[in-house]
Amino acid sequence: MTNDRELDTWREQWSSVAEPPAEFQRKVQERIKRQERRFMLGNLLAVIAFLGLLIFALFLRHRSTWMGPGWSTGLIVLVFVSAACRMWFSRGTWHPQTQSTRAFVELWHKRVTARIRLLRISIYLLLGWIIFCAILKAANWRTIGQDVGTHPKVWEVVLVACVLMQYPVIWYGVDWLRRRKLAELNEVEKIMNEMDGKSVP
Amino acid sequence: MSQHRQALEKQFARILSEYGGPISRLAFSYEAVASVREELVQEIALAIWQALAHFRGDCSERTFVYRIAHNRGLTHVGRRRPPHQPLEELEESEQPVDPRPHLEEQVARTDQRMRLMSAIQSLPVTHRQMIVLALEGLSQAEIGEVMGITENNVAVRLTRIRKALKDTLAERMTGERT
Repeated sequence: MTNDRELDTWREQWSSVAEPPAEFQRKVQERIKRQERRFMLGNLLAVIAFLGLLIFALFLRHRSTWMGPGWSTGLIVLVFVSAACRMWFSRGTWHPQTQSTRAFVELWHKRVTARIRLLRISIYLLLGWIIFCAILKAANWRTIGQDVGTHPKVWEVVLVACVLMQYPVIWYGVDWLRRRKLAELNEVEKIMNEMDGKSVP
Repeated sequence: MSQHRQALEKQFARILSEYGGPISRLAFSYEAVASVREELVQEIALAIWQALAHFRGDCSERTFVYRIAHNRGLTHVGRRRPPHQPLEELEESEQPVDPRPHLEEQVARTDQRMRLMSAIQSLPVTHRQMIVLALEGLSQAEIGEVMGITENNVAVRLTRIRKALKDTLAERMTGERT
């Protein structure tokens, strides 16, 4: 006990505040196992998706029109550009300089800023991809148009409609996430200001 | 299972049993709603588990645990700014049970405790962090180490925060009487 009675009284009141929730340890262990399973599954799915896309893109290269080679090349470029952007914007956001709360908050600020930039770039990349696909289709329309005109297939129309509809959905999702990250950035900046003593009572 | 993993699991289990109470109290200062708080306690434990593999003993285990717990608490506040729910408004079932037998004394202690908790929750988040560390018995040097500021800075800020807390408690006492 210190000689500071006020602090000691508060400490006594404080120390009787809360006990860990019931079955705390068991729940945490279960959560760790769940998270590890999710992590492995997530990585596995990412590898499968990446390899699948590459194989699909390579497969399309052997089609008769140059629509396939163009699309597959575009897809490979898109995947690599996305990965490069992610790496570029994530520079310096892997580990904090030191272990303190201040370093953590600074890192948090960097991470949120990087994520916002990445989301903004994603919107441009999506727009670029749509334009690229449209140009590719227009350039190959002589071949595709003939095929569509002579053998119209309903499922192809539905497929194209679905593909087109996913863009506004992705766009809305990315924009929603960006707004959420901007709100988070605002909160992080408030915490940083508090740390700098700008709002000390 | 590797020996390293087994050793980590053993250390983690010990940390949870040793620091379960402090982590719960700390979560109390960041979150008033019981169900969300329980979630936060688990998230803090999870963050400790994730960081444990990289812990090289460059600070004390206590500093390590509090640092991670507070950082996770800050993230919680930053990502989820709920409408502030004063502790007085919490349901009786959400309030921690005091096992002491004398009813009047128990009620008075619970009132004081809830008033203190509520006053702490009304402080800005970094001030909350500092006072909670002080209440957990960390020295000013340890608080400085956790927060990344100098010991002198801790002393100056702590004085101001204590005054703010005292004023808030006095205001609440006056408010309850009138």
